[in-house]
Amino acid sequence: MNDRSEKRHAIDMSALGRSNAGLNLENEEIAISVNALKLFYGDKQAINGVDMQIPKNRVTAFIGPSGCGKSTLLRCFNRMNDLIDGCRVEGEVTIEGENIYGKGVNVVDLRRRVGMVFQKPNPFPKSIYENVAYGLRLQGIKDRRVLDEVIERSLKGAALWDEVKDRLNESGMGLSGGQQQRLVIARAIAVEPHVLLLDEPASALDPISTLKLEELIYELKSKYTIVIVTHNMQQAARVSDYTAFMFMGDQVEFSDTDTLFTNPSEKRTEDYITGRYG
Amino acid sequence: MVNNNNQKTGWFSSGTPWVWISAGAVSISLVMVFGLLLLIAVRGLGYFWPADVVAMDYIERDGTEIRLMGEQRETELVPLERLLDAGYQLQDHAGDVERHLLKTGNRDLYGMDFRSVIEPAVSNRTVPDGVIVIERYEWGNFYGFLKSVKENGVVVADGEAARAALAQSLERSLALHEEIKQIEKSDIGAINYQLERLRLKTRKLELSNSLDPQREQAIAAERAEAQQRYQVLQKKLNDLYAEINRDSLLATVADGREIEIPLAKVVRVYRPNEMGVADKLPHYLSKVWEFVSDEPREANTEGGIFPAIFGTVLMVILMAILVTPFGVVAAIYLREYAKQGPVTRVIRIAVNNLAGVPSVVYGVFGLGFFVYFLGGNLDALFFPEAAPAPTFGTPGILWSSLTLAILTLPVVIVATEEGLSRIPRAVREGSLALGATKAETLWRIVIPMASPALMTGLILAVARAAGEVAPLMLVGVVKLAPSMPLDGNFPFLHLDRKFMHLGFHIYDVGFQSPNVEAARPLVYATALLLVVVIVVLNLAAISIRNRLRTKYQAV
Amino acid sequence: MEKMNIGHHISRQFNEELEDVRNQVLIMGGLVEQQIADAVKALVEGDSHLAEQVIDNDRKVNGLEVAIDEECTQILARRHPAASDLRLVIAVIKTITDLERIGDQAEKIARMGLHLVEMERPKNHYYEVQSLGESVIKMLHQTLDAFARMDVDAAIQVSQQDEKIDHEYDGIMRQMVTFMMEDPRAIKRSLDVIWSVRALERIGDHSKNICEYVIYLVKGKDVRHTSTEYMKEAVQED
Repeated sequence: MNDRSEKRHAIDMSALGRSNAGLNLENEEIAISVNALKLFYGDKQAINGVDMQIPKNRVTAFIGPSGCGKSTLLRCFNRMNDLIDGCRVEGEVTIEGENIYGKGVNVVDLRRRVGMVFQKPNPFPKSIYENVAYGLRLQGIKDRRVLDEVIERSLKGAALWDEVKDRLNESGMGLSGGQQQRLVIARAIAVEPHVLLLDEPASALDPISTLKLEELIYELKSKYTIVIVTHNMQQAARVSDYTAFMFMGDQVEFSDTDTLFTNPSEKRTEDYITGRYG
Repeated sequence: MVNNNNQKTGWFSSGTPWVWISAGAVSISLVMVFGLLLLIAVRGLGYFWPADVVAMDYIERDGTEIRLMGEQRETELVPLERLLDAGYQLQDHAGDVERHLLKTGNRDLYGMDFRSVIEPAVSNRTVPDGVIVIERYEWGNFYGFLKSVKENGVVVADGEAARAALAQSLERSLALHEEIKQIEKSDIGAINYQLERLRLKTRKLELSNSLDPQREQAIAAERAEAQQRYQVLQKKLNDLYAEINRDSLLATVADGREIEIPLAKVVRVYRPNEMGVADKLPHYLSKVWEFVSDEPREANTEGGIFPAIFGTVLMVILMAILVTPFGVVAAIYLREYAKQGPVTRVIRIAVNNLAGVPSVVYGVFGLGFFVYFLGGNLDALFFPEAAPAPTFGTPGILWSSLTLAILTLPVVIVATEEGLSRIPRAVREGSLALGATKAETLWRIVIPMASPALMTGLILAVARAAGEVAPLMLVGVVKLAPSMPLDGNFPFLHLDRKFMHLGFHIYDVGFQSPNVEAARPLVYATALLLVVVIVVLNLAAISIRNRLRTKYQAV
Repeated sequence: MEKMNIGHHISRQFNEELEDVRNQVLIMGGLVEQQIADAVKALVEGDSHLAEQVIDNDRKVNGLEVAIDEECTQILARRHPAASDLRLVIAVIKTITDLERIGDQAEKIARMGLHLVEMERPKNHYYEVQSLGESVIKMLHQTLDAFARMDVDAAIQVSQQDEKIDHEYDGIMRQMVTFMMEDPRAIKRSLDVIWSVRALERIGDHSKNICEYVIYLVKGKDVRHTSTEYMKEAVQED
């Protein structure tokens, strides 16, 4: 009897590859490594020491209630928080081997490597073409042929090319919300970043646009490391490979999305994702 | 009672009274604006309409009877007592008396253009045929009857034939006059300007002790060449004068006196009593065109006001060019770069209060700082050769524009700041997240998006600047500018020159003129023109703003 | 850590729906338990009336399964349950499948009982069937208790009883084979008994499955097809 079950057990583990560990990053390359990160707005502490390894070419989602610091944490990755008066950061964020809070870091260069897409679609009041060309022009690229090529590639990459290829010179403000958001993504990937930060990218979109965006995220995953903040837990569950749950500035739980949404190890996570929080 | 009370509160709380009150306020404003414009337009534009000339017998205060002829301008009722006090013999009269203002012209004969007549002393009023009105370069209008036309003092046409002969001779003399004006104003003006510059050049070389014989010779040669050209022109001018002085006309006035008028002094001859509306309309339009396009004559009371329009517009444009960069840069610093705190708050309060300082104070500041201090130092540094005559150390268009630029700076700063604060943070962050620096974001995204607000500020600034007079009187406006600040002589734009201004023109013509009665309609016409100029400037700015708005549609 | 707290959702409606579905499962469990008891009783006592009643009642069990399934589908579609809620719904869906199969086994036993009524009854009055039936009913009862109380330890304990039932089943099988070799006339009867005992043994297996779902529900660990040691290990973690 006993050896019969043992035999079954052996088959089980190898055939199903089941792992009960919530987070196993052994086979992953790490893109962003966060080390004891603390962030203060004046005297108020918004992030209380986060340690996190974000794997490369994967989608990592940050979920949590409003004001938990998930957006703030995301904005630490391209130092967008620098723009806020009285914001102070302690600890380390290492992206591609460089501590971006170290001395002599070129923030402009960092932001080229770490693209960002915001909650509300924010195309510039320029043509679709110029919107996508913006980042390239900043880098001093003027050659029309190069621009044309990159713009086509970026718009195709953002799954927008077919919808706008005949009206590249029209204003980007004239597109629908979902198209605008994809335009903004095209704009972000035109400068070929390595990391793409998405801050609640679908919160202003209708369900169909949201699904298109999620599909796009899935496709972009092969090229970019994507970190997404979302209020929508189903969305996090749908698009992400890894999920971090944050609460009151703490990282409560960080594990692979399957585990987090079926069997979270922390009660606070459980309460939040099942709707018992509050 | 209770019921009644309820009804009352019901009506008040329904908000109806407020609708009525606010609508009433709006209508009062509208009535005032249109009433103002209508008054100015009617009074100002009526001036150019050729009125009939009436002739009448009139008994003067001292009992002498004279014949008068002229345009009846205004009529008012005057209390009898006042006329009695003034010495009129009206004892047998009762009630108010009509008093007319009659433009009799012929200042060379009567010593005045206008006289008032009281209705009871008038008799035998007619509108005689054959009256001619002559607009002259000197002595104002002439009213009378054409008798004959002379050439070199010899009568060539008389009676009915004189009419055709006059038209022919007048055409010739006007053409000659145009030619003379061209030579005097532009050609000789240019030579004079050149000679003056040569003089200054010599002086400059003398001052720097580098006036060697070689250079002296070159300058002398240039001067001789200019002198030679001047001689040629002068000779030509003398010939033209001889030509234009050939003709004259002989006319009689109402009281039978005869007067000879050289055609060289005649601007225009017309016969209002024989003209129908179809004839008067072209005449009217040509008068209006003369008003906006010609130079003033007779101490600004006649002719056009083109230099004043030009001066106003140029000054406003210069002001806009000066104030925009200042205001925008200041606003950008305050909003984008400065650390928000008590200091910026104090600066904002100060800027807002600057807008409340009386404009004449700016004039005093402009005079003290720009004209005397800046201008004086500039002269000492760069224009020593012109001393003791000041170049920039005297009121001029540059200082006027600068003074008004400071005056309107708060408006531009406040409007631009408002525009900047309305640019959504998301758009800035979008740009920064693509690796733009703050400066790149400002230049490529924020300022274009804020440009409509900037234009709004500029519109307000232009509206205010175009209407200011008080400070300008101290820093550059004059009654009559000898030359315009923009002309054909290098460097074309003369920022040191004084200029004429519509607002000041109104003040000058209305209050400082020797001939107040004649000038009053001009005051209205000029005021109307000032309003039109401001409206046009504003419309131009608004159309630019609207184009920017559609281009950089707000998110 | 108290992990199973179905109440305390922000949505009270959701609380009620989950509570309702759980109660329905227990009701279905109770019904199925009764069915087995009746079926065994009918077989042992040769009560053809009772046996027919059991066969008839199986429709009720099937109806309950469909109803609960439907409710679970609605919860999935409308509530998008996550974590423990999701596991509860999944466990319920699987549990009712097993309960329905148990119901089918009870029906099978009742049918065998009907066959056996017409035959000569043995001296021991099917004591062995009765004994195994009691064990199985006890096991199912404890399983449903563990489900109701979300008691992991009880679930492990109950699932271990399956081995005992297997032993008992093996013994009855050997006995029946002996009977058939001794007296060929008893072959038909013995085969029917074997079918019934086989059904009881299957019920034990289904009970064990339900115990595994309870562990999955509470601990989030899938312990199917694993050893008891592994099961215990999984439960002991955290």
